[in-house]
Amino acid sequence: MAVRGIQRFPQNQYVDAVRWLPIESALERLAVVALFDLDSDASSIQIHSLNLNQSSLEPYSSWASPSRISSLKASHFLNKPLIVASTSGGSLHLLFSDSSDASFQSQVSLPEGSLHSVPASSVDLLDGGVQCVTAGEDGKLNLVAISDSNLNYRRLFDSAGLVSYTAVRWASPSEFATAGYGFTLHWWDHRKPGGPVSHFKANWDKKFTSGIVHSIDIHPSRKHTCLAGGSLGTVFAWDLRWQQQPIILSGAGAGSGNNAIQSISESEVWEVQYDRCIKSNTSSTRILPSMICSEDGILGVIEQGEEPIELLAEPCAINSFDIDQHNPTDVICSLEWEAVAILTRQ
Amino acid sequence: MAKELLRLDNGTSCTAWNYSGTRLAVGSSDGTLSIFDSRHPPSSSSLLSTFKSRILEGNIVNIVWLPPEYGDAVACISADGIVSLWEEVAEDSHSLQWKMCKSFGNSSSKVLDVRFGVSSTGLKMVAAYSDGNVRVFELLDSLELRNWQLQAEFQNVIESVSAFGKASCVSASISWNPQKGGGQESSFLIGFNSNTSELNSSKVWEFDQAHQRWLPVAELALPEDKGDEVHAVAWAPNIGRPYEIIAVATRKGLAIWNLGLNPDQNGRLSVERVALLSGHEGLVWQMEWDMSGMTLATTGHDGMVRLWQANLNGVWHQQAAFEPTS
Amino acid sequence: MPSDTGGNGSLVPFSGDSTAVYPLHHGLASPIRRISISFSCGNSLRLSLFAAASAKIVEVKLSGEDNEISDAHRRRIAYGSVAPFAMLQSRRSSLSALLKTPSPYHSDWWEHVLQYSKEIGSLLGGPKLTPSPIIENPSAIVKGGEEATSLKAAWELIEMFYVDKQSQAWLPERLVDWLADYDSLFTSTHETIHGKLVDFEKELVNIQVIEDDPRYWDLLSSALSVGWLDIVAKMLRLHGSYQLDQLSHREIENGLVEAVALLISQMPHLRPESVGKLGECYKSKPDFIKAWEKWRSQITKLDCSPYWIQCDNQQTREGLRNLLQIMLGNSESLCMATCYWIELYISHFLYIRPFTMGIESMYNLAQKCIQLKPRSSTHRLSGLMIGILEENTEVVLAECSREFGPWLVAHAIELLTAGSEQAEMLLHEERYSLGGISIAELHRLVYAQILSSHALTWQIAPIYLTSCMKQGMGLLENLLYRQSVQHNDVLLKNIEICRLYELDHISSNIMKIAGVYHWKHGRKGAGVFWLQQAQDASCLDRIAQQLFDSVGKSISDENFKQWEGMIELLGSESKPAGGLEFLHKYRDFKKSLQKVSVGKSTDAARQAVGSLILLMKNPSTPQRFWLPLLYDSLKLLNWQDCPLLSVSETNLLLNKLQELSLAKLRPQYTEPSLPSDALSSIRLALAINLGRAILDE
Repeated sequence: MAVRGIQRFPQNQYVDAVRWLPIESALERLAVVALFDLDSDASSIQIHSLNLNQSSLEPYSSWASPSRISSLKASHFLNKPLIVASTSGGSLHLLFSDSSDASFQSQVSLPEGSLHSVPASSVDLLDGGVQCVTAGEDGKLNLVAISDSNLNYRRLFDSAGLVSYTAVRWASPSEFATAGYGFTLHWWDHRKPGGPVSHFKANWDKKFTSGIVHSIDIHPSRKHTCLAGGSLGTVFAWDLRWQQQPIILSGAGAGSGNNAIQSISESEVWEVQYDRCIKSNTSSTRILPSMICSEDGILGVIEQGEEPIELLAEPCAINSFDIDQHNPTDVICSLEWEAVAILTRQ
Repeated sequence: MAKELLRLDNGTSCTAWNYSGTRLAVGSSDGTLSIFDSRHPPSSSSLLSTFKSRILEGNIVNIVWLPPEYGDAVACISADGIVSLWEEVAEDSHSLQWKMCKSFGNSSSKVLDVRFGVSSTGLKMVAAYSDGNVRVFELLDSLELRNWQLQAEFQNVIESVSAFGKASCVSASISWNPQKGGGQESSFLIGFNSNTSELNSSKVWEFDQAHQRWLPVAELALPEDKGDEVHAVAWAPNIGRPYEIIAVATRKGLAIWNLGLNPDQNGRLSVERVALLSGHEGLVWQMEWDMSGMTLATTGHDGMVRLWQANLNGVWHQQAAFEPTS
Repeated sequence: MPSDTGGNGSLVPFSGDSTAVYPLHHGLASPIRRISISFSCGNSLRLSLFAAASAKIVEVKLSGEDNEISDAHRRRIAYGSVAPFAMLQSRRSSLSALLKTPSPYHSDWWEHVLQYSKEIGSLLGGPKLTPSPIIENPSAIVKGGEEATSLKAAWELIEMFYVDKQSQAWLPERLVDWLADYDSLFTSTHETIHGKLVDFEKELVNIQVIEDDPRYWDLLSSALSVGWLDIVAKMLRLHGSYQLDQLSHREIENGLVEAVALLISQMPHLRPESVGKLGECYKSKPDFIKAWEKWRSQITKLDCSPYWIQCDNQQTREGLRNLLQIMLGNSESLCMATCYWIELYISHFLYIRPFTMGIESMYNLAQKCIQLKPRSSTHRLSGLMIGILEENTEVVLAECSREFGPWLVAHAIELLTAGSEQAEMLLHEERYSLGGISIAELHRLVYAQILSSHALTWQIAPIYLTSCMKQGMGLLENLLYRQSVQHNDVLLKNIEICRLYELDHISSNIMKIAGVYHWKHGRKGAGVFWLQQAQDASCLDRIAQQLFDSVGKSISDENFKQWEGMIELLGSESKPAGGLEFLHKYRDFKKSLQKVSVGKSTDAARQAVGSLILLMKNPSTPQRFWLPLLYDSLKLLNWQDCPLLSVSETNLLLNKLQELSLAKLRPQYTEPSLPSDALSSIRLALAINLGRAILDE
């Protein structure tokens, strides 16, 4: 799984998020890039066309966003690429794109302030559907669905600021998980409103160090396990069936209890995703391999019981990444220094 | 070179940026306080108005932000000498709003200037009054800006002279030692523009922990200049110099003082005037140091903005000037 | 001007001798009545301009950067410089640790610096502008390129003179190459050979008989004078005698052109290799001298050739013989052929003093050339070059600082000190007049300030600040303190920098600011989290008091779920949560009480009693909760099956009731909102329990 090539593309703007656009095409590779120009205060979502042989990443089409993108997901609906973005202004946008020319066809949105009060919110899109769940630092959870070419939302829960949510991820069409401060994870079922059906707080660490979970992932084949990455290089998995025993894969708790676990990073893990590239034995009880990116510039792969593999060590932070669904050897990541990097594995 | 950030209405009388330069408080002559927030901190390109309300009867002449450790709060000083503290809070289920939490001063004893300093024991506020008094208030509860206690009251004189006539002060200027943390005792600098010459010269006051009192530890004026009215003072951030730098503006010009760090046997700090610079036709409005304490920016009666630096030999000189033109 | 600077001659002006006055266009209708100022992060100054009818806020960036490079490109250079700079610093510290001497300079230190210099140089532009013809277009004489910048030219110049020891032997030849790359830059201020060539090239299509145009011959001699042999060769090929229909009757003329062209192509050079360029290269000086003398004798021979008389084209004859004069080092011809002093200077190296090695007497020659080619306007590279030739580090620094800005100074200091003990002393000596820092540190601080003033570059300022021994950390603390805490990602990046440089006091201060910010803005969970991280016990205690009020008011069984997450966050007792741990226990108690109300299990009830006793014993449980707690527990106190509390436990609770009745007398006591008979029913329940417990024991 060695790195075959890495290409960096300066954007001359801050890259807020990157995703691959999941389209099956032999000809084209498309990436969605959320950009922010500090000098003009303008935000945009752009579709870029990638040509690795000519090492070019050229913008195809662009959509101006009313404010900075705080969370970005790309999926497809009825064979058409669909992009969903939540902004720091509390708005939500669904962009439908045309797979033939990668242009933006239509967009529906909920205006600023309707879903969340500032600052940041996270959004997830149900695979193959248009059902979204949003979670914000203001402690609100919303379900958003499209109907009559409008977006409708339902407030699922409001913690009134007592709890802030930093990440959200669907587990099944009715269940999802949220993450928050103090390495907490909550499990929700939107058929049972009023509160989480299960919650977890990591307190493996007896020192004063705690942290925030920034990103979670749930594998379609193992819906009972929630993978989480956050402060102090922490990556852990929470299995609903063994509630209070997290499986620590890297970071904070790793050093104290079990010295065998090596930390891949000591700083913020900004994003975590199951690595679809590695074919693991699905019947195994082990946690599936995952990829992380971190504030100290690491892009790496973690597998339970194995040495972590460092794919990339940049001099600046890697703020987000995405593994291509159709070519899982290819990873796109956003670099703090106004650039996008594309990594190809063997 | 200059980038426009905001245009404001008629009647704007003063502005103040918060610690991170992402929030701007604006005061108006009709007593209106407005708050503008950067939409995407730390970028300051688009400022949005998030609050606007008439909070005082008179003209707001100055606004001072409280240190961020105590929340998002400002002190507004009105032309008739009333200071009111306003704080942005979300109480219980209510949405975010600005609320008044305290006011100081009255018509007989007007507040001329206030400044906040963070000491090891908490937040302190120094207020200079028109009758020549200096009062130091202490915040009792770090999360509650309503409860202040008067810690000390004194006049800006080195020796306690028994009597001088009733003082009448036009303006005062206060600057805390910007040093944060460390074992240092908190200290500040104050100078007056008054009819009583003893009060005028800027003096450095330090808190004497052992006796729980404020003591003058240095006077920043040459013997022949002691009665000069002080227009502005500014204590430079010290990022590692073996001495402090303080700027004092009087009608004679802009003086740069070096202040020693270690007191002599009388508890006094050594002072040396290293430069007397002229500019602004003798009337300085405001002085500000940059975060390294290497550049001093001043504005004054001549309508110019001037920048001052020391050269490699430590000689202070004017580095650049900006002249507003339409 | 300052009144007390008279006679105090400054070593080097910080930048500029006289104060620059910049206009500040505000566009307001009425004149400005008042201005207020505020320094933002770094060197960005915010001005509020108040006019009679309106006001305006502007931001002014006080940097000496020029406009040659766009902001985005400048940021790319800033990002790219971080790794080489950090690498060089770490090499220096490991070397000085190894050698255990105050000076880290090892004999081959310059090799590290050269590597650093090459890496930085590559950031400043890609392929160089080359004046050699690349495209097979006969009219294209000069190849244009966008990438040549004065910044890159300055960097290469400094590298050439201060770092690259290997090429010191053929320094003049490097200067020739340098001029070939960057002559075009000087066109902005005055006439240059490059500029003239470009102009001529444009008109080429309109010229019928090129050799009749005097500019053709002028330019040939100009290009030859600065050693652009390829251009000369190419231009000679344009000579009319090469045209097929002319060859027959212009044989001799063509032969002479060809002879000159051949000599030009054979010109010897003292340099290691030639990359596809005309001329012959010699690595050793004796070989070179031998070849040179042979070449010169061939020129002299050609100059005396009888064929000149047979050449009937006067222009060709005179033009070619002038080229020979150039090659023979006729100083008058060289002076005529060149436009400004650097070109003349280069031509002297090529043709008059070909055996010059190293930097010796280069300055005198430069002065002579400047006298011969005086200019009213001088290019900024010219000033830098004079400083370098003068071997005056102060002037070089001052030029870099004034003309190219803080980035160049901060990075070029490494080059300036690479080989010179004296420069090393000058730049690293700590000066009281600078507040105890060295000139090198001062310039790094200045550059770090520039970085600090932009939201995308402030995070790299710490790399430079931590290389400043005296004042870097102080400035870093101020920088970190001034970052906004509103956005988690910025906040966490900030805290990460604190962690890297072990600035724990700063990070707890930042966390406290974040905690208070979130708490006061209604995000109570986030507020508590950050205050816990900051270990701010006093704030947490105050928060506990406020929370108790809300809890007392609002914790009912229905909205308990809302609080659940918050209490969960408060965590176990080991956290410095102040009185907040009470809430955690209270939650446990409420939970067990809930279980009791659902079932009738005595075990569950016993557990609840355990929680109750823990709460009542704990000193952090606020007094005002005692009565509500006991009232909530009435069911336990009146448990049917058996008495749940032992004698001593009952006595403990009775004592608490006693304490409460005393507290009631104090003025600050607040009555809990309970039914009027609450106290009496508790008393009664306790009394009955006590009786049953005594009987049991």
